[in-house]
Amino acid sequence: MKMLLYGLVTGILFGFLLQKGRVLRYDKQLGALRLMDMTIIKFMLSSVMVGMVGVYLLKDLGLAELSVKPTILGGVIIGGLIFGIGWGLLGYCPGTAIGAVGEGRWDALWGVLGMLVGAGLYAEAYPAMKSSVLTWGDYGKITLPQLLGVNHWVVIILFVVGGLMLFRWFEKKGL
Amino acid sequence: MEKRNDGGWSPYLAGALSGLVSVLSVWIAGQFIGVSTTFVRTTGMIEKILDPGRVAQMEYFIKTVPKIDWQWVFVAGIFIGSLIASTTSGSFRWTALPDMWEARFGISRMKRSLVAFAGGTVGMFGARLADG
Repeated sequence: MKMLLYGLVTGILFGFLLQKGRVLRYDKQLGALRLMDMTIIKFMLSSVMVGMVGVYLLKDLGLAELSVKPTILGGVIIGGLIFGIGWGLLGYCPGTAIGAVGEGRWDALWGVLGMLVGAGLYAEAYPAMKSSVLTWGDYGKITLPQLLGVNHWVVIILFVVGGLMLFRWFEKKGL
Repeated sequence: MEKRNDGGWSPYLAGALSGLVSVLSVWIAGQFIGVSTTFVRTTGMIEKILDPGRVAQMEYFIKTVPKIDWQWVFVAGIFIGSLIASTTSGSFRWTALPDMWEARFGISRMKRSLVAFAGGTVGMFGARLADG
């Protein structure tokens, strides 16, 4: 019960910030896909940068464990390409579709219904995927620092510096 | 473009704060932010009403049990948070057609609904295949 309360509060804060960041909009999402408006990228990358530093800090202090998903190239590449087609058609990703309905964009509701159907179809297809696509290029639970054989802070600092340089370029170009 | 104050914040600020929220979630609740598993659980819960025996045997629903968990409530919270932020800033609008869509594909709501539905279906299948 306490867990559900944490989930609700976290979700409300997250939804509030998504709305404030103006990312719950088809025009912003398509704007990012068409390389015309980088609002989505600014929001996501800022979130990832803070999350990366914070989570690894917690890990180093022994306050949290990482949750690493296995890297399966077949699933990630083919799934990513399929996801991209769907994202481009709908103009919302799963979380932003829910949030978009919350600010009155009810075209996103059709997307949410479609997502429920898509999840059901995947559940049907799962046994077949498991014996094919999900066996292609399975590298297990690896991380970038492990792969490169460097301390994780090297990767984090490079990522943050790269992100900040990208932001500077966006602002210069007015994106 | 119509200019109106929608109470929005800089995407850098809102994004960084959302990152902070996810870090706090990992710290306090041990939970990483995610959304799409909730769609699997919800579909499973609906299918369970229709045919519980079948759902009980499906491998994917054995792996991802159809139930309300931390993430399910988190996703419901996103809706509530967005509703709070938009209504308190006066930026809540009933909108059937996004501007960019209307400019390119016209005013047919049926067309938008069909494409949005298809996009959601395809997108979620891909997201699940990529385990995201």
